[in-house]
Amino acid sequence: MSQDNKQKEISGSKLSFQQLIFELQQYWSAQGCTIAQPYDMEMGAGTFHPATFLRAIGPEPWRAAYVQPCRRPTDGRYGENPNRLQHYYQFQVLLKPSPDNIQQLYLDSLKTIGVDTESHDIRFVEDNWESPTLGAWGLGWEVWLDGMEISQFTYFQQIGGLDCKPVTGEMTYGLERIAMCLQDCSSIFDLVWTQNDERVVTYGDIYHQNEVEMSKYNFELANTESMFDWFDTCEQESNKLIEAGLPIPAYEMTMKASHAFNLLDARGAISVTERQRYILRVRTLSRAVAQTYFESRETLGFPLLK
Amino acid sequence: MSKTKDLLIEIGTEELPPKSLKKLAIAFKDAISKSLKEQELKFSDANWYATPRRLSVLVNDLEITQEDKQQQSRGPAVAAAFDVDGKATRAAEGFAKSCGVEVDQLERLKTDKGEWLAFNAIVKGKQSSELIPSIIEVALSKLPIAKRMRWGDSDVEFVRPIKWVLILLGGDTIDCEIMGVTSGKDSYGHRFHHPEAITINEPADYVVTLKQEAHVLADYDERRELIQTQVNAIAKNKNGDAIIEPDLLDEVTSLVEWPVSFYGDFNSDFLKLPKEVLVSSMQDHQKYFPLVDKQGNLLPSFISVANIESKNPELIKQGNERVIQPRLSDAAFFWERDLKHGLANHREALKKVVYQKQLGTLHEKSTRLVNTVSNLAGLLNVEISTARRAAELCLCDLLTDMVSEFPDLQGTMGRYYAAADGEIDEVATALEEYYQPRFAGDKLPETVVGQCLAISEKIDSLIGIFAIGKAPTGDKDPFGLRRSAIGLLRIIIECELDIDLKELIATAAENYPDAIDAKNVIADVYQFLLERLRRYYLDEGVSSDTFESVLAIKTSKPLDFHQRLKAVTEFRKLSEAESLAAANKRISNILKKSDINITEIGSVDNKLLSEDAEITLATALNNYQERLTPLMENRNYKSALTELAGLRESVDNFFDNVMVNCDDAATKNNRLTLLANLSALFLQTADISKLQG
Repeated sequence: MSQDNKQKEISGSKLSFQQLIFELQQYWSAQGCTIAQPYDMEMGAGTFHPATFLRAIGPEPWRAAYVQPCRRPTDGRYGENPNRLQHYYQFQVLLKPSPDNIQQLYLDSLKTIGVDTESHDIRFVEDNWESPTLGAWGLGWEVWLDGMEISQFTYFQQIGGLDCKPVTGEMTYGLERIAMCLQDCSSIFDLVWTQNDERVVTYGDIYHQNEVEMSKYNFELANTESMFDWFDTCEQESNKLIEAGLPIPAYEMTMKASHAFNLLDARGAISVTERQRYILRVRTLSRAVAQTYFESRETLGFPLLK
Repeated sequence: MSKTKDLLIEIGTEELPPKSLKKLAIAFKDAISKSLKEQELKFSDANWYATPRRLSVLVNDLEITQEDKQQQSRGPAVAAAFDVDGKATRAAEGFAKSCGVEVDQLERLKTDKGEWLAFNAIVKGKQSSELIPSIIEVALSKLPIAKRMRWGDSDVEFVRPIKWVLILLGGDTIDCEIMGVTSGKDSYGHRFHHPEAITINEPADYVVTLKQEAHVLADYDERRELIQTQVNAIAKNKNGDAIIEPDLLDEVTSLVEWPVSFYGDFNSDFLKLPKEVLVSSMQDHQKYFPLVDKQGNLLPSFISVANIESKNPELIKQGNERVIQPRLSDAAFFWERDLKHGLANHREALKKVVYQKQLGTLHEKSTRLVNTVSNLAGLLNVEISTARRAAELCLCDLLTDMVSEFPDLQGTMGRYYAAADGEIDEVATALEEYYQPRFAGDKLPETVVGQCLAISEKIDSLIGIFAIGKAPTGDKDPFGLRRSAIGLLRIIIECELDIDLKELIATAAENYPDAIDAKNVIADVYQFLLERLRRYYLDEGVSSDTFESVLAIKTSKPLDFHQRLKAVTEFRKLSEAESLAAANKRISNILKKSDINITEIGSVDNKLLSEDAEITLATALNNYQERLTPLMENRNYKSALTELAGLRESVDNFFDNVMVNCDDAATKNNRLTLLANLSALFLQTADISKLQG
């Protein structure tokens, strides 16, 4: 698609990718959410961000929203598939305890970003979420917009093996997919990230080269041997930090181990049975982190309850 | 019957799981009906309604009060109730007090065992409105919900959060709290068309009010039918037929309150992909109904069902088309890549994939299959090299990109890729048939190579899993061995294969290394298969004594078993069957008590025969022995038993007129021998002494 066409298609009313993020931040800020920032570590989903994983633990109330870049090495397609990326963005919203009108709040957020709920077909389709590595599960839905899954909506029931009480409602927006709907665009790389009078900057301008090179690294070049070692190191460190009663750095080490596992998985370096064992090892860390974090907050007297 | 009113209960929720919606709604209605009956509240009938956001029950003509009941309580014996002066004792006073009356208001109850003080009370029936709240609460707590959830700050658990509770008895609500939600007269309409509350005035108005004013079709069956009609009409317009799987139709019905069907198109280039891939993409991922032309070829279109009368339907169509496009692009990408790779080239990589920790890799499994299938192929006279090739390739498609994306297409993709690689038809077909039957009642492999391969897989799994101590127990059957066993038996019986189970198991067991103690489980696997065989027949309506009569013969060929069983079933329809079964039972008892060695029966000494009845029987026996020989050689069990029915009169006569246990030992033994020979004649087909009258 030529630059001219692109500009023509993006009418004034359609949000650019960055405007989409601004709008969501504004909206959720108005709902009392703390707008957190992306975590500066590799992770497979916004749920890993401590603002979700750790804050969902224990009795303290919490409302937050943030953008989180996610890395899923196996989803890389060398920039050749218009719908799959190994690096993409989630917009994550946490409401704890989940309020009675949580679905309506979500639907209103769609209106804010320009989704006409009387024209589109919006559906909540059962999807029960489980993260074996986080020892976490919840019940909820995929949200469909005209048949496209644009969000995940989950009531957390357990995190790190601990019962969630109160329950956190988690909404995860797939930003690229929503932008594709809003901009009526069939390739992620053609999404308008931002535009001004002089030029349009597309998603592809920013990330295409990244997809090509990272796919090559993930699938072909990542050093599996050192990655196995790295996994072991992170696991040991995490255990040591748990012993020391430091759940936050222990959790960072858990996330590093988890990402090392994802890379090994993408390289096809882990057999089916081994895979299960690695997942269990990460889960064991997650559970210990969750328990230690709970205890540390308890010691502090659950400050956010006040 | 006392005064009645209709009762409406609607539990408004956030979106319910579509695959269990109908089951939940029916269970809710059943639980409410059952509780009402237990509370002796009569009603004419009860109906259920269900949408993604509501579970409802409408009970018609419900009694508004329970009937009054007479209840008699018995007090102390009269003798103990009054002292010598005729004054009421403490016991009597206490009883009267507990009944809330004076002693002189109590009645006397006289039985043949004595006389007691008694009190007849009328227990007033309770109002149904008092009982209904707890009936609802209990019904909800007992719904068959796989995973319950909590939400917010509450401890309440349900399938999804409850938003409102509507209870109407006649025109009034019953004020109460159900799972933390206060009841009322309001329902809510369609999420986008009618988000406001809508008051239902009378239970009978429920469905109509929601339909006419709130864009909600609460009646599940009506909605299902409407979807079907809409989809078929669109298909007709597009000159095609919609493929409507009943399960998918149910699921779609459970996902909408106000169905509006529409079609969308996709690029016809994708039609070069295997049909199953396209159908699976449309049905499983997107809940679309695929379209075929009159010849059954897929059309590049789909029909989907929206939950809204859109102000701009074109948007919904375009949106859906945009979703299916990348899914099919992905599939096309996998297809091309898999084709380039070649199916057989995955075989080496099977060495890296663990089948089961103790049982080794998929490669080892396929090597075992090659051995077993070669054996079977030799036995059943099919080209051994063809069967071997199929066994070498049958697991390879598990490593293709397409199967990792569409696991249900295992086998099917094997067939496509083998054909594309130029493997012969029989090999390609067998790769798909390898998995058959996939579920109860599924079709069986049609080619003999496919049958051999499917049997090999099943027997290999049975032996391996038994050997590592993971045989099914109770309701635990993690490897689906019960299904495998039934599948194996069905193939042998229904495809009429002359296979000996014991030999099959023994040969297949030899493929396992010594570390896996496969030989040790041969007997267990055989026993397990016999148990499954029993299940198979009982499910088909065969009576268990018929089964036992054949089981006693100890044939290890399922097909032979089946032919005998059919013969017994037919035999039992004959008028002679019952008395011959009784006679055989009698013979078997007599022989058990005697010293006759059943396995080595001598022949009857004609000289020792004296009574008419025994001479007739012995002659008949001779006759039948000759006539049966050719029948048995052809395993014509049915004719054999039909023939033997002709013995009834001689047998009955024999028992009526001949004394077996006579004093003369030689005569007695000769008679026992006669009976043993008679019994043996029947036992060639089945032990009909096992048949119950």
